[in-house]
Amino acid sequence: MTPIEILAAVFVVVGTFFGFVATVGLVRLPGLYARLHAASKSDTLGSVLSLAGIAIVLGVSTESLKLVFLLLFLFVTSPTAAHAIARAAKEEGIEPTGEDARIGDEGGES
Amino acid sequence: MAGEGGRDVLVPVGDSETLRRTVTYAVERAYASVTEDADEGEVTVDTVGTPLTLHFVYPARWRTVEADPADVESARTLLDRVVAWAREDLDGLTAEDAPETVVFESSIVGTNEYVFSPGDFADVIAGYAAANDVQRVVVDPSFRPGGSAPILRSFEAELADRGFDVLEAPVTRRTRRSLPFTAIGLPEFFVVFSASFLFYLALGGWHVTDPYELITGVATAGVVAVTLASVALKGEVPNLRFVAATLARLAAYTPILLWEIAKANVALAYVVLHPRLPIDPRMVEFDAAVWGDMPVTTLANSITLTPGTLTVDVSRQHFLVHALIPDAETDLLDGKLERLVRFVFYGRESARIASPRERLDDREGES
Repeated sequence: MTPIEILAAVFVVVGTFFGFVATVGLVRLPGLYARLHAASKSDTLGSVLSLAGIAIVLGVSTESLKLVFLLLFLFVTSPTAAHAIARAAKEEGIEPTGEDARIGDEGGES
Repeated sequence: MAGEGGRDVLVPVGDSETLRRTVTYAVERAYASVTEDADEGEVTVDTVGTPLTLHFVYPARWRTVEADPADVESARTLLDRVVAWAREDLDGLTAEDAPETVVFESSIVGTNEYVFSPGDFADVIAGYAAANDVQRVVVDPSFRPGGSAPILRSFEAELADRGFDVLEAPVTRRTRRSLPFTAIGLPEFFVVFSASFLFYLALGGWHVTDPYELITGVATAGVVAVTLASVALKGEVPNLRFVAATLARLAAYTPILLWEIAKANVALAYVVLHPRLPIDPRMVEFDAAVWGDMPVTTLANSITLTPGTLTVDVSRQHFLVHALIPDAETDLLDGKLERLVRFVFYGRESARIASPRERLDDREGES
């Protein structure tokens, strides 16, 4: 294995790890909003890292350029999608759950 | 009230190509509604005595509380010109010795608040309308206060939401250069066309000598530019130097954002995989000191991607953020991201504005 391939492998492994975290988070976290955190962050990083790993292996080529574009679009669309879901949930009146679920700045902050 | 005071008409005014014809339309409508009343025999001495008022309202578009005198001056000039036009139109409609049927008023609103989104503009217009008892609004379709970002609702929709009788002036934007289907100008078309063309070539492997690639590229870019140019650029050609500076600062911002994202994910992975699941979900509200749809979108997305925070709702610069882990809220109120976004879009000086926490403290001191 060349150093480049090792680097790429590291990217893919770390990416897969975060994909795994996203899945565990989706199952373990309570409530819609908390789960969205897992979906919007870990999942994005997971796929982005895996794509980056592949782009590294391919080197400078049209394919890796496409991967870079894909990566950029994921960075933009994934939080936007999470935001859209969260906003829809809020408009439906779904409350954030958890011991300390409350609206922040008005209730007096510690 | 609505029947009587509702006769008055409000026209939001701003720099737009079709402003002149919108004014004409508004005057014609106002005049027609006065004369219609007369035809139906509803005009009593009383209603003639109180002519219909046409309010021309200029929503302030400057972004700071302290306005640049030049901006105020140009707004005044524009309003004066609008009133002069309106008078001219009215004179064309009425006989010389006719009693005054329509009077004009002009005003600048929203000078004391941050306005940038369509909703914001609708709010200041609504405030003025309520103060003057106006129900009807004539809007100029090419006047787009606050831009037309897809994430935000349009100015007309926002006004209609506030209970106004919204009438869109039937003016089409003057096509200065005759392009098919849309009313975009040549510079806008060119910018979008070249961007799409280069993008097409890049995706196709940059075979710049292959005629097939070039021809299909031109066709594709042409379709994209014709159909999407007005959406992509909000009808404005960006200032190239400004865009270059923004892009350069964006390049500086990206590594910082990536680092923050990496930290966020490690923190989140720790929380998710921790046996006791040490989360502390809560909603945090704050007003971000960023204006404009691009900066707000960037900040909202950055917040979503970084430490345990998720943007739930954005209305103008008011953010509702769901924070999952305790540290997240602290980070958010320290305003690091916000400062960075400001740096990217407005340059270095603006990065020094106080953090949300400091601003929050200030506001609590006031109220």
